[in-house]
Amino acid sequence: MAYIFEGFKQGIVLLFNLNGEVLAILKLSLAVSILATSIAVGIGLPLGSIIALKKFPFKKVIIALINTGMGLPPVVAGLLVALFLSRNGPLGFLQWLYTPKGMVLAQVIIATPIITGLSLAAVQSFETRFYQQILVLGATTRQSICILLKEIKLSILAAIIAGFGSIISEVGAVMMVCGNIRGQTRVLTTATVLETNMGNFDMAIALGLILLTMSFMVNLALTFIQQSRVKQQ
Amino acid sequence: MIKISNLKLDFPGRLTLVIDKLEIERGKVFTIIGPNGAGKSTFLNIIALFQKPDKGVIEIWGEDILNLKDKLVFRRKISFLFSRPYLLDETVYNNIALPLRLRGMRDYKAVDEMLDLFRIGHLKVNKARTLSQGEMHRVALARAFVIKPKLILLDEPFLSLDQTYKESLIDDLRGVIKLNEITALFVTQGQAEALTLADTIAVMKDGRILQQGNPQDIFTIPDSKEVADFIGVETVVEGLIVKKEDNLCFVKAGDKLLEVVSAYNEGDSVLVCIRPEDVIIAKHIDPSSARNHFKAKIIEIKPWGLEYKLNLYSGFNLVASVTKQSIRNLDLKIEDEVFAIFKATAIHLIKR
Repeated sequence: MAYIFEGFKQGIVLLFNLNGEVLAILKLSLAVSILATSIAVGIGLPLGSIIALKKFPFKKVIIALINTGMGLPPVVAGLLVALFLSRNGPLGFLQWLYTPKGMVLAQVIIATPIITGLSLAAVQSFETRFYQQILVLGATTRQSICILLKEIKLSILAAIIAGFGSIISEVGAVMMVCGNIRGQTRVLTTATVLETNMGNFDMAIALGLILLTMSFMVNLALTFIQQSRVKQQ
Repeated sequence: MIKISNLKLDFPGRLTLVIDKLEIERGKVFTIIGPNGAGKSTFLNIIALFQKPDKGVIEIWGEDILNLKDKLVFRRKISFLFSRPYLLDETVYNNIALPLRLRGMRDYKAVDEMLDLFRIGHLKVNKARTLSQGEMHRVALARAFVIKPKLILLDEPFLSLDQTYKESLIDDLRGVIKLNEITALFVTQGQAEALTLADTIAVMKDGRILQQGNPQDIFTIPDSKEVADFIGVETVVEGLIVKKEDNLCFVKAGDKLLEVVSAYNEGDSVLVCIRPEDVIIAKHIDPSSARNHFKAKIIEIKPWGLEYKLNLYSGFNLVASVTKQSIRNLDLKIEDEVFAIFKATAIHLIKR
């Protein structure tokens, strides 16, 4: 038991004396996940909105596929990306394997279905009559989607945060796609795994605490958003 | 200006909307009344291009609107008011300016005009969603008219409003529509609203227009039992014209002989329609010009808005509306024997 307490003590000390390497890991983690979230929002938000609003054949099948994608095991995403990016894979020429770009790709694949699915649900929860009212006020499709998204901005924000939360804490896919190359592709999660395996519990605990803090902040933001919506109603 | 022909839309198992031919003149208010699920809203949805009919032609301003390349151009010439105001979470001013903004127009003078017209200038900077129901409806009206539409669709726009507010809103609405010669398609279940606002009324049921005409005719001379039922003729009794003297018909209904002014002939089978407000209740018969007076028994007394409705039996079932004061003055109770009196001109006959 003692070494756990000692680990925590050391970890917290480390946390307050963050060295350059840990800061670099934190920076890379945030940069990769924020970029991946932004791309996933760029794809998922319009996609989810359009699927929710338009009528087309096999709509239900598509929605079922997206819902499946929301629960896609990260290691499967990692495997897929690794296969595609490997030297002989179809995207091998990009030479993204073992680079932050590859990590972004893997995380985009994980986050996009989540953001698409949650945006889709949010848009669908919007009353048809309200949407029709916007259309008949003279809005183009683009204008009407903008107005609609503004109306449901809280749900959309929740979708974005959920997407971000799912990838910042993910370890399997980034490990598979990008290894854990020191100074290049080492992120909070993979570093934590490594330090644990090496028996450097104090460092692992420090990294874990950083991750936990970030996860807490994400959840705190989510809760605030949800609560402010309750107040609005 | 609106010409509809052979329109059909089938929702299997629920409703088939069929309109063979319908024309609406420019600047007129065409009101569709009918029970829930009659297809009234569906009809408006087709006009607003939210729903595509199975077949048919709708020509508006000489244009075949069902085969437009760009729905937006058509939609930007019309306005549509729903039963809920659907305002954005912004100021009143911004809500009313929205249709102009969406059209890329820079001149917002019309917004101030609308604020004045609908008497909501003082709410200009308020957040729209903090207003009362009635005020929100005024904002929705102002927003609908800010683009000076040539056609306005109204789908039960006053459903959730209380009576006094409704009346002032309808007055304003009628003023704007008439002043600007806007064509209006108005769907409602409220007969009072229909009477105030309509140039032409159509009664719709089960996807079909049963009867169409000017409001006075629809409400006084329905041509079928279904229309009579819907417009509040509560007494509809089968009868037979047994004798005719000049234009006065003697109609046998139940065990009673009614005197009715009608153009129908001896031997015709008819439905006798009597509106509840045309029936007078008395404890004793006064010397009255009313030709028909019968002893009747009160079966039920029920409140109806500010008045009461009496269900009577007098050889046939008869419904009368009376004021609260009459109930008190005449001391009316269930099981009482009273006289039901109505004029020969108050009865409308439908030939069967």
